[in-house]
Amino acid sequence: MEDIIICENLKYSYPGQNGFAVNGVSFTVGRGEFISVIGHNGSGKSTLARLINGLLEPDEGKLTVLGMDVNEGKNAIEVRRHVGVVFQNPDNQMVASVVEDDIAFGPENIGVEREEIGRRIDWALSAVGMEKYRYATPARLSGGQKQRIAVAGVLAIKPDVLILDESTAMLDPRGRKEVIDVVRKLNKEEGMTIILITHFMEEALLADRTIVMNRGEIVLTGTPEQIFKQGEALQTYNLSLPRISVIAGNLRAAGMEIGNVLKPEELADEILKNFNNRGIYAGQSSYPAAAEAQNPGDWDVEIKNLTFTYSKKSPFATKALNGINLRISDGDFFGIIGHTGSGKSTLVQHLNALIKLPQAEKKYHKPKAKKGMPAPVLPSLTVGKFDLADKKTDFKALRASVGMVFQYPEYQLFAETVFADVAFGLKNFNKKLSAEEVERAVKDSLEIVGLNYEEVKDKSPFDLSGGQKRRVAIAGVIVTRPHILILDEPAAGLDPKGKSEIMELLHKLHREWCKTVIIVSHDMDEVAENCNKVAVISNGEVFACDSPANLFARANELTALGLDVPLTTKISTRIAQNGIIIHSDCTVKDFSDKVIELYGGGKNA
Amino acid sequence: MLNDVTFGQYYPVNSFVHRLDPRFKLIALIAYIVMLFVANNFYALAACALLLVCAVIASRVPIGSVLRSVKGIIFILIFTGALNIFFHSGQTVYWQWGIFKVTLEGIIFTVFLVFRLFFLVMASSVLTLTTTPVALTDGIESLLKPLTFIKFPVHELALIMSIALRFIPTLIDETNRIISAQKARGADFESGNIFKRIKAMVPILIPLLISAFRRAEELGDAMDARCYSGSKNRTKYKKLRFGWRDLVAFLFVGALIAGVILFNIYCFDIYPQIYQYIKVT
Repeated sequence: MEDIIICENLKYSYPGQNGFAVNGVSFTVGRGEFISVIGHNGSGKSTLARLINGLLEPDEGKLTVLGMDVNEGKNAIEVRRHVGVVFQNPDNQMVASVVEDDIAFGPENIGVEREEIGRRIDWALSAVGMEKYRYATPARLSGGQKQRIAVAGVLAIKPDVLILDESTAMLDPRGRKEVIDVVRKLNKEEGMTIILITHFMEEALLADRTIVMNRGEIVLTGTPEQIFKQGEALQTYNLSLPRISVIAGNLRAAGMEIGNVLKPEELADEILKNFNNRGIYAGQSSYPAAAEAQNPGDWDVEIKNLTFTYSKKSPFATKALNGINLRISDGDFFGIIGHTGSGKSTLVQHLNALIKLPQAEKKYHKPKAKKGMPAPVLPSLTVGKFDLADKKTDFKALRASVGMVFQYPEYQLFAETVFADVAFGLKNFNKKLSAEEVERAVKDSLEIVGLNYEEVKDKSPFDLSGGQKRRVAIAGVIVTRPHILILDEPAAGLDPKGKSEIMELLHKLHREWCKTVIIVSHDMDEVAENCNKVAVISNGEVFACDSPANLFARANELTALGLDVPLTTKISTRIAQNGIIIHSDCTVKDFSDKVIELYGGGKNA
Repeated sequence: MLNDVTFGQYYPVNSFVHRLDPRFKLIALIAYIVMLFVANNFYALAACALLLVCAVIASRVPIGSVLRSVKGIIFILIFTGALNIFFHSGQTVYWQWGIFKVTLEGIIFTVFLVFRLFFLVMASSVLTLTTTPVALTDGIESLLKPLTFIKFPVHELALIMSIALRFIPTLIDETNRIISAQKARGADFESGNIFKRIKAMVPILIPLLISAFRRAEELGDAMDARCYSGSKNRTKYKKLRFGWRDLVAFLFVGALIAGVILFNIYCFDIYPQIYQYIKVT
């Protein structure tokens, strides 16, 4: 195999920063290889991508791409023709408002003939499966589609190497799968060399070879099987194990013989093999727990017949909600899942009247009853004692009791100091608070999100790390001590460790601070692992609302909707095909326990 | 809420006017406006009106949408109308009070002026209703092409316009999200005096500005990675082409120009009796 990229002891430090972001990295990449690079935030993965593409020049060391020394003369520019990079945010990579114009941008830059550009657009669009969208506007595409267009835009330059720099981090599972499928196809069919930088361990597994980075250095390298066998080592590099490896580890610890597996089907087969050895061919694990009876609480949310249309009366009208009926009980850790565009964000914005019911608008007039037509059904929505259909409701008080954390909340920070930013909401809602009261509330809320009050209060929020910024933003919402806390994709864009820390924080808040927590998510595993009740929204309607165990028992229906199911469900579905039913609440821990319990009860034990 | 809507006025139907070359539409609009100002009698103005009606019908845009664009200038129409009707000089005085006087010539002139402005705005909105901002940008770039010879940065200008258009929906979305987020934290943008309201914008503007810079930086990297290095040795994929529609439309515009000039010359001969009511002085 021809070595297409050769790095020898590469070092790079950003101007004005201490220490090297990439510190003595050496590796080679062969033509046609598929390499995944993992590492926590700030481990130097993205810097490495920029070095290989010639966007950054190494301080030390030698980098050869296709026989060209990148440090020499104009090679850095030339290298970009051969190494394409797709970045993280699909919105920030496009220059034109029409798909074909955007794809043409790269070839135009390198002076490709007009007719050839046309052919390249055809080819690039078919390579990413977006032929139908040639004349579409990027603003109207989904995240996954936009990112595929970004891939096509890079492909049109006909590079030899394609680097994806966390290109799936901002996408929903469907979008991630679309992009990853495209990348695998390019690797297999076109022989394209791929370097996939990712936070998702499940994606890293797909590569021929995985490189693990920590603090600017390569600490591990090998096939994904070899890498993910080293559970503890990975954790010292601030990485989490893929869920499948966690389950396999739990089962091994209980004495089951589980080989090296990376796919749910393989793990299911391994479990079945173990069961068969013990003479378990059919049967059932423990019975499902009886559903708890729920008493009405003071802060129940009741939604009836909720409909909503964006841009009504314009040619662009789109129906976002189509008759939602939903009940969220006081004290729930509630999950709302669905595709991007299913209406889930629109739904939650109704809960604190960011979108008001039509009856609550100032200009609302009762529609006149038309003869022969049934009276129109009006939506109703109550949150605790607040009736959101009533114009006279104190919406400000409602917003103080129903906190809302938007996606990427760190992008809404604005004040000069962390203290001022957190106090902003508090002062808006209650202008009469004394300075001491404000200080105490801000201190409490910064501390509960896990920040050191004295250390951060006078800092500019923009000087904090990504994870800290998000915590400050959450503190700025919970500072009013809301009864209900709503979070839209709270873990989006974080590395695995950051994700689990945020979810831990939410459980802490749920226990000590906000009685009801509602998360909007498209990550099935996240929802299964954390929520006691889940509503699935599809095409503006509630498809189902149930506990994870009951909901994911309907795996086939969810798959038919194009939704994913949690890993544990994938494994248990496969096992169920062989007559063995495992009733778990879909969390990794409970699933492992139930499998071990069944295994322990076998005849040959 | 401004959500997922194309900005500007573009009305998405597929019509004769929609499919005209944007360059032609731009030139035709300029020609039309010139003709509006060349016209000095009501016959010529009627010819202008006729072409406008044809264009509106051929564009298949509901008349309500076209008229809506005039709403914004109603105040200007009334104001200039009032100014002219009271101050225009003329021989046939109907009414006078101090410096204010209403004359026949004044009335005729005012009516003419109001129609002229009205047609001007209508014609411009036919262009913006039937042409996407992207097509307009392409058209302007193509029309400005000759200026490259005097070192005018046409390509750079076009790229800036294209990127601006591309990011308007993105930034509108972002603005809405930030407004919602600050509203959820109790921010109030609707009450208080003007200074309070301006101050209330700070929590929106700062995050928006920071985000715009972040996006600009990322976009710069992405453009670099896609080998962008200015207009040198660059090819262009998109080519605008005149088609048969443009030829047909060209005949209409040509007829208008001829009509307006002929009416200007011969308007006395058509109906000499009412000549004084037709000609604008």
